[in-house]
Amino acid sequence: MNNPISNSRCPLTPTRGVIRSIIPMASDNTLFQITVDGDALSDCMPGQFVQLWVPGVGESPISVCSGHVGATVELTVRKVGRVTSALFQMNEGDWVGLRGPYGNGFPVEAYRGKDLCLIAGGLGVAPIRSLWQYVLDHREDFGKITLIYGMRHSIDLLFRSEFKMLLRRRDMEVFIAAEELCGPALPPISVQLGRVTDMIKAASLSPTVEVAVCGPPVMYKYVIDELKAKGIAESQIWLSLERHMKCGIGKCGHCFVGGAFACKAGPVFNLPQLRLLPEAVECA
Amino acid sequence: MRTFCLLVLPNDTLEDIFVCNGCVGSYGSILKMSRNFLLPKSRFCEFFNYLKGLGKFFAPVRVSEQSFSFKEIENEGEIAWDALRTILPPKKFFYPQRETVLKYDRNEVEATVPEDNFQVIFGVHPCDLAGLGIMDTIFEAAPGDTHYTKRREQSLVIGLSCMPDKYCFCQSMGTSCPTKGYDLFLTDLGDAFFVQVETARAEQMLAGCNGLFSPVSENDKDSYKEFWIERDKAFTNGFEPDNLRSTLDMEWDNPLWDELGKRCLSCGNCTPVCPTCYCFDLVDIANLNGQSGERQREWDSCQFVGFAQVAGDYNFRPTPVDRLKFWYRHKLHGFDDPYGFKTCVGCGRCTVSCPSGIDDIVDVVKRLQGNNEQPNK
Repeated sequence: MNNPISNSRCPLTPTRGVIRSIIPMASDNTLFQITVDGDALSDCMPGQFVQLWVPGVGESPISVCSGHVGATVELTVRKVGRVTSALFQMNEGDWVGLRGPYGNGFPVEAYRGKDLCLIAGGLGVAPIRSLWQYVLDHREDFGKITLIYGMRHSIDLLFRSEFKMLLRRRDMEVFIAAEELCGPALPPISVQLGRVTDMIKAASLSPTVEVAVCGPPVMYKYVIDELKAKGIAESQIWLSLERHMKCGIGKCGHCFVGGAFACKAGPVFNLPQLRLLPEAVECA
Repeated sequence: MRTFCLLVLPNDTLEDIFVCNGCVGSYGSILKMSRNFLLPKSRFCEFFNYLKGLGKFFAPVRVSEQSFSFKEIENEGEIAWDALRTILPPKKFFYPQRETVLKYDRNEVEATVPEDNFQVIFGVHPCDLAGLGIMDTIFEAAPGDTHYTKRREQSLVIGLSCMPDKYCFCQSMGTSCPTKGYDLFLTDLGDAFFVQVETARAEQMLAGCNGLFSPVSENDKDSYKEFWIERDKAFTNGFEPDNLRSTLDMEWDNPLWDELGKRCLSCGNCTPVCPTCYCFDLVDIANLNGQSGERQREWDSCQFVGFAQVAGDYNFRPTPVDRLKFWYRHKLHGFDDPYGFKTCVGCGRCTVSCPSGIDDIVDVVKRLQGNNEQPNK
């Protein structure tokens, strides 16, 4: 074998990044802005993710939540595990490692020229944000845009100042719903009582709309049912799957959905693709 | 049980046999063909000593009454010629159970590189060669794994023919004849080995010992063919392989999975012994100063409870049933994407190492196929 692979850089080696700012958000979420050397992440597309490494602790796959990535990447992180807890102990100026971007991301080329409906549940708003930022940057390339964001408690609403701006825009429709209204009201953001599915019912969606969904696994079945009830074809329903992405490069096996690497073939699949994979999503 | 008359010879066709003893130096002209010659067993000792001079020599060694292991040996007498399946497959030479992939300190992150260490891996049977071929595909796919490929480049893999026992079912998996993964392959013809040189690298390395070999005669070719025909008839274990993928798809909800899953201990024995199980974990080992340390990769198992668990305690495969079924499907149906091939090579290691007796792949496949014959083991 005369293979040049062994002379290349080990794909498991992160690039060093420095935490530029730490912006606390609602509940246990924080927005980290991290700068990396060179242009390691500059070709990042909406819906892709990076492996964030806290030296000495481990790596965690985190969705990139900004639509345009230059030297600085934005990551919304919830404190839920070992790595994220360690990250929350860190300060501005500390270094971390980043690998990526990984995954296929949302098929923005297929979306071009079409109406779009973006649906986010809970922290699923992070990758969806990368998509709406991208789409609004290229607004003239897309048709009508509907953004639906649901959460359990209204107090968990993320990106509040950004939503204030989005709600003012006339070239998109925004629905925000919480299962429980709690905490102080957030004028001028009107949070409605209900679920994501209620908002889908309320929205007027054309039959040709392309739908991008990201949220907790339990949400998908209900969202799919509701979208199909509105006559939207399965091939227009794109879901970003959450899985345990450990290596991000299609080798370690943790993210398998049936026999496909979610980190490489996914994480974004449309429904016909998912129907061919056992253990992907429950749907009728 | 059904008799199989599939005969595949370990070359595309015997017409490819190309005798060119001593034709070293012109590697380009023989790259597409394998060169064949005969190594009399009386000269094997010299052959061994020659290879031993190239680097570390590993071969199957008997480590207990019933088990064998690839170990470094000093003299040819240590080789266990009757070894069929070693405890661990030869993947361990290229993809060790634990290895450091990077070191870090305050100032830099440095990728580690495997040491320069030439090794000869001798006595690898066709199933394990097929396993190496699968590992090659996975680790060489972009972005290629530098550690695996470096070790692979520094190794000479020598295959060896074998006769199946009651657990072997490589014939059903289409891996009973070597097609890839090796540099040299030796077929045992009794008093000599029929040697096939598959790579230019092997050809180059043999330049110093060509005197040991003699050309292949018509008789030798006949003996060679006869050996593989006899071997093909010797299989007693196996199943009808044609509908394997569709069976696994169709029987995803078969109650058999619940029955097997209830007996599964989630011990993960079936995965390290598998020649094609490549799943790994990445762990940080920090030094006590908190400023430096390293990151290691170690073998993981999809049978462990936390394998598919994500942050927030959501587990995509919470029960042994989910995990066992997933493993079976990956082995027998194989990849949905991107490779599309099955990842079982029929070596029988999982069958013999499962403490619950639920990894009898042949029995499970037959039951899924609707054949309820009792296993003949």
